[in-house]
Amino acid sequence: MSEAIAGFGLGLRTDHYGDFIAARQPVDWLEIISENYMVAGGKPLHFVEQIRRDYPMVMHGVSLSIGSLDALDPAYLGQLKALVERLEPAWVSDHLCWTGVAGVNLHDLLPLPYTAEALRHLTARVDQVQEFLRRRLVLENVSSYVSFTADEMSEWEFIGQLVARTDCQLLLDINNVYVSSINHGFDARTFIDAIPPAAVRQIHLAGHETHPDILIDTHDQPVCQAVWDLYAYALRRIGAVPTMIERDDNIPPLALLIGELACARELAERSLGQRELAR
Amino acid sequence: MNSLATIENGLQAAILVDASASDLLAGAAQRSARGLDVYRAAYRARLTAALRDNFPVLLRALGDDAFAALASAYIDAHPSRQRSIRWFGDSLVDDLSRTSEPLPHPALVDLARMDWAMRAAFDAADAPCLTRHELIALAPEEWPNRRYRLVPSLQMVDLEWRVEPVWHALNNDPGVATEAPQRLAHTLLVWRRKLDCLWRSADNREGAALRALADGATFAECCSLLAEDGDAAAVHSVVAVLGQWLDEGLLARD
Ligand SMILES: [Fe+2]
Repeated sequence: MSEAIAGFGLGLRTDHYGDFIAARQPVDWLEIISENYMVAGGKPLHFVEQIRRDYPMVMHGVSLSIGSLDALDPAYLGQLKALVERLEPAWVSDHLCWTGVAGVNLHDLLPLPYTAEALRHLTARVDQVQEFLRRRLVLENVSSYVSFTADEMSEWEFIGQLVARTDCQLLLDINNVYVSSINHGFDARTFIDAIPPAAVRQIHLAGHETHPDILIDTHDQPVCQAVWDLYAYALRRIGAVPTMIERDDNIPPLALLIGELACARELAERSLGQRELAR
Repeated sequence: MNSLATIENGLQAAILVDASASDLLAGAAQRSARGLDVYRAAYRARLTAALRDNFPVLLRALGDDAFAALASAYIDAHPSRQRSIRWFGDSLVDDLSRTSEPLPHPALVDLARMDWAMRAAFDAADAPCLTRHELIALAPEEWPNRRYRLVPSLQMVDLEWRVEPVWHALNNDPGVATEAPQRLAHTLLVWRRKLDCLWRSADNREGAALRALADGATFAECCSLLAEDGDAAAVHSVVAVLGQWLDEGLLARD
């Protein structure tokens, strides 16, 4: 049931349940937000199971809080595993971040300091989760708006070391790389160049909000040209990777997102050539 | 150098209570303050949105500004301890019913109760309903001692005011003019049948009978709650009520 994922996908949103149930859509696979389905019953599980029959799926969480100093929540992990058994996703991802500490949850993807101490902490936690889920965890780089005086290395060195230590995989969010590169003043291509290509399991594309002094990762508008350019650059370096567009707010009709996804397909074909895509 | 603990606790306090984090953050002061403000604003916006989702009719009754003020006070008083933001707002009804600041109308607490119960029914556990057909096989002598299970989504909510017409009107049309509700202590039943969230007003006697069933009472014990007078007409009414519960899908298959 857990078929291979390739090509171009979308994040499944409630606004589009009807479209996916009414007709086969030109979308190769779907990503769901795990927490939305970690409920007892009713519409969410009913519809996701129905749609799962027609589309390969991956699960994407926002609450693992892998970087928090609080102990991993066994109830959360248990529910996550139960959903994995129910939906048999091709993989399970979450974010390289923390969401709160001392029992509080800020429900946000907060940045970690890039220190040896944080790396040791994460390594132990990733091992623990991978052992519990009995699968490799896929972790996504987040957008950030602050950095810490404690930082001992760059974000890309930090990620590279985590992959080397835990054998986890990466969800490379191109928009997040771009947003952080502008906010912190680094060259986004340096980030892409440093990422271990074989570890990249999935790519996210999304839109952000532009302010004179900062970019904010809002997922409420189309992918911008700079992010398309960076995507093309990443493809040439990494090769074909399952790619999807994330839209979480200001959600347009499905046809519009499918149109945007066609741009990603076209750009990948141009960047890689047909042979590489079929690989 | 700052430890991970210092950083996580420090950044969290900076977001939650506007504590200073200038000794943690790199870069020019103005730049890092701007970044921190993004987290602070996103935090409040996200939790406010969760409250708006969980209390849609209370939002319509209060209006955007009054709801925003209520949300802001709640967010300050109750940092989320929920793993999923879905459950944020679980203490709002308690807060409203205990608050010393008077609400525009005391019945707004009951509107909030109804919102929360409808939201809970939405993704409560599924369970097949008991049907009349399945009770046909029951021998007459088995009736008094039979126990019933309620569907997991069913909630018996005590209300002080008859807010259902207001809730119904505002749920259908956010801009509709509504009349102030009458004071009437009763029980609101909220449940889900298949995928549809349903509600009905009941009297306190029916509410008590359903609570007794939920606590494991037999049908005979339940009858005595429904028909306190013990007259013949009351027995008829008990049978009618059981039929209604079955038709509405309040009882679960064993
Ligand atoms: Fe992403």
